[in-house]
Formats: sequence, structure tokens, C-alpha cells
Amino acid sequence: MHSTIRRHAPFWISILIGIAIWEIAGRSTSQAFMVPFSVTLKTLWQLMLSGEFIRQFLDSAQLFLTGFVLALVVGMPLGMLLARVPILRIGIEPYLMILYATPMVALIPFILSMMGFGFAPKVLVVFLFAVFPVIYNTVEGARSIKPEMIEVAHSFRSSEWALWRDVMMPYTLPYAMTGVRQAIGRALVGMIAAEFFLSSTGLGQLIMTASQNFDTAGVFASVLVIALIGVCLMRVGLTIERHFARWRQ
Amino acid sequence: MPSSDIAAAAPAAKPVVIARKAGTFWPRFIVGAAILLIWEFVVRALAPPYVAKPSTVLMAIPHVIVDPKFLAATGNTLAAVAEGLAVALVAGTIIGLLMGRSQLVERSIRHYVNGFFAMPMIVVLPLFSLWFGYSSATRIATIIFAAIFSIVVNVADGARSVPREYLEVARSFRSNRWSMLFTIVLPASMPYLLAGFRLAAGRALIGAVVAEFFLSIGGLGYYILYNSRSYKHAEAFVGVLLLAAFGVCFELLVFWVTKRFMPWYRRER
Repeated sequence: MHSTIRRHAPFWISILIGIAIWEIAGRSTSQAFMVPFSVTLKTLWQLMLSGEFIRQFLDSAQLFLTGFVLALVVGMPLGMLLARVPILRIGIEPYLMILYATPMVALIPFILSMMGFGFAPKVLVVFLFAVFPVIYNTVEGARSIKPEMIEVAHSFRSSEWALWRDVMMPYTLPYAMTGVRQAIGRALVGMIAAEFFLSSTGLGQLIMTASQNFDTAGVFASVLVIALIGVCLMRVGLTIERHFARWRQ
Repeated sequence: MPSSDIAAAAPAAKPVVIARKAGTFWPRFIVGAAILLIWEFVVRALAPPYVAKPSTVLMAIPHVIVDPKFLAATGNTLAAVAEGLAVALVAGTIIGLLMGRSQLVERSIRHYVNGFFAMPMIVVLPLFSLWFGYSSATRIATIIFAAIFSIVVNVADGARSVPREYLEVARSFRSNRWSMLFTIVLPASMPYLLAGFRLAAGRALIGAVVAEFFLSIGGLGYYILYNSRSYKHAEAFVGVLLLAAFGVCFELLVFWVTKRFMPWYRRER
């Protein structure tokens, strides 16, 4: 008990000091510029009560999950396939690297004018943000499988499917999870970008509306919530990555 | 828990050296040609004529790259990215060094650094535009915000992992804290700094483009937005190609610097 308090004390002290600074800074400047922590919380509470927040949150969550899951479903098998078929990998690798380094936000205007304002274009944005880290890390992981393992499997006449199930997948997953962690962060950026620049929905709309009405308290409240969501998702990603990292030799 | 667990820079995309062996050249060539052909024919068959396809993009390149508006936009964005990255690099390195070597600093700001790093950077745009107005100051602020935390986190990681013998030797020669920080800890954490810079450069580019979309201020991002709105997709796509080229250049630069100046350092995953 005592040691728990001691371990967590620095965390709470630093958080409390941060809140205190925020509160003081908010009170000593104009309300249009910065809102104190207490007012931010109050605004957030009102948003929660009105049901507005929950609705927008669910909207965003739906978008995030659809795009993200799609990125996993496409990225992981594709990554493993590339690792399994060397000629394909050699051919595609440079293009993957270019796409990985390209700022995907630049494609949003094209997506907008070709696909309009529906749900699909937004999913596409989240997907594009998230898929390349998944493919990239899966390929890296699948390449780390020792060729001997595959040879042994072949000499025991494993079918291709058994080879994937018993060798490729378990050996690749730990590495792929690094990609999953990166993809979570990127998908979140993609989600907000899509909600800002395509049809305005979800948490992105919450911020946009507040900012257009010069409702500084609303902006602060939504930014705070999104920051917390970001931190939570990052924790989830790290936990998943660590869990699977135990498999790495 | 050290802040390192949040950081873990993305594994470097291995730059592709131009293939000398035919063994790698032909597959790459064929895949590249296939991508372009499929793109060309799918767009021709299914999409309206304004949609960018390789042939129209190729034809747009000669007149776009001499277009003064395009050049001004490129210069504008690049200058902002360079300025923001420079600030983020200097400030981020100093904060990172302090965080890695001082427990007090580490304990007091670690959670904030990790929090800001995990936050999708573009949500600060509406806030920054309230603070700095719809101007290029907001763009610079966004770029700095997007870039700085990956540098802080990585440099702090590097500073923490300096071999203790180095510091003991310095101490026994009565080196003072500051000179130790800048002559021993900083050089020793260089590989981490580069990994952080690589990440930061990518994020800075995204930050700049998003800021230009949001604020409608001149630059490559706005050039893309404007031209795609007026259905000049081919012209706009040249801008995307240039952005991709910048992204790749940053990767190659970091790769080259690491190889040239720190050949003993193998990037860990």
C-alpha cells in the first residue's frame, strides 16, 4: 500500500501542478483565449448530459474501427504474402516505402472530389493512414522467419495452409503488432482529418463547430477528450505489442 | 516506466538503393509499369475525365514545375517546414537531454510529453487558429507541435541509455554537468536523435499540409486543395508527387547520415 502511494505520487503531483497552472493561466487571460480547467470540465459535463458527446463519440468510433479493421484485414495477409513470395516483395517494396513516407493527408482533396461526402470516403482516409505501417511491419516480421523452419515444414509435407497457420502467422504476429500500434496512432489522425475536411461528423465536428462559434471552452473540452482518447489508445497498442513481444525469441 | 515505451520510433523504411543486379530491377520495373497501366486504364474506363491518371499527370509536369505559383507555394511550405523543424529540433533536443538526465524534469513533464505525443496533432489546429489567427504563424506552431515531441521522447531515451562508464570517466576528470550534457550525452544519443528527427520530419510535413488545408494559406497543401477543387486533378497531383518526394528525401537523408557518420549503429526495432 505504502509503496503504491510512493510509486504513483510523482504522477499525481505532476498532474495536479499541470492542472493548477492551466487554471491560473485560464483565469488570468481572456476567456476567448484560454479557459480554465474548471470551466473546461463544466463544458464537458454539459456536453455529456446533452447526449451530444456520446452521439459524436460513437460516430467517430464507428469510423475509426471500420477503417482500422479494414487496414488489418488487408495489411496483414498482404504483408505475409509479400514475405512468402520473394519476387513479389522485391517488386513492390520500393513503392510501399514511397507510400509509407507520403503524407496521406494530401490525398484528401482528391478523395473528396471523387467520392463526395459519404461514409465510404472517410473510411478510405482512415484506411490509407493505417494500412502502410501494418503491411510494412508484417513484411519485416515475416522475413525474420528462419528459412530452415519453412524447409522443415516442407520436408514434413506440410500443406501451404498448415505452413501459414503454424509457422508464418505465429512468427509474424509479434512484429505485425508494432505496425498495429503505429496504425492506431495514424488511424486516429486520419479519423480527425477525415472529419475535418470531408463531411463534418463525430468528434471532429464537435471541435469544428465550437471553433467556428468562437466557443473556446468547447474547443478545450473536445481537445482534452481527444487527447485522453489518444493516450488510452496508445496504452492499448503498447499493451498488445508487449503481450505479443513475449513470443519473440 | 520510462517514457521510451511510448516512443519506439518506427523502424526505418529501408531506402531502396537503385538496383544494380538485374534480379531486383526487373521485378520492380514490371510492378511499377503494372501499377501505372492499371491506374491509367481503370481511370479511363470508370472515372470522369478530370480524374488524374498517369498520362495526364505526366503531361502536366512540364508546365506545373515552371508555374511561378507552384514554385512559390513549394518554397512557402518548405520554408515553413524547415523553420518549424529547426525550432523543434533545438528545443526538443534540449528538453529531451534534460529529461533523460534529470529525474526531477523527467518526473514533472514525462506525462505531458507522452500525452501530447499520443494526441493526434491536428486537433490543436482549431485551438491554434484561435490563438494565432488564420495566418502562417498558426502553420509554424502546428509544425512545431507536430514535430517536437517525437524528438523529445527519442532524445530522452538516448540520454537515458548513455553508458555509465562514459559519465564516470568524465566525472573523474572533473567535467561539469553542462559540458557533460553537451559533449558526452548529446553525441552518445545522436542515433536516437536521428530516429526522432525522421519521425518528426514526416509529422512536420503532415502538419504543414493540414494547416494549409485548414487555414487556406498559400503553400503546397493549398495548391493541391485549390487545383483539385477546380477539377485540375493532374496539376494537383504533381503537388502530391512533390510531397512524396520530400518524404522520401527525409528518409534517405537520415539513412545516409546514420550510415555515413554512425556506421557502427544498427537501428534496432
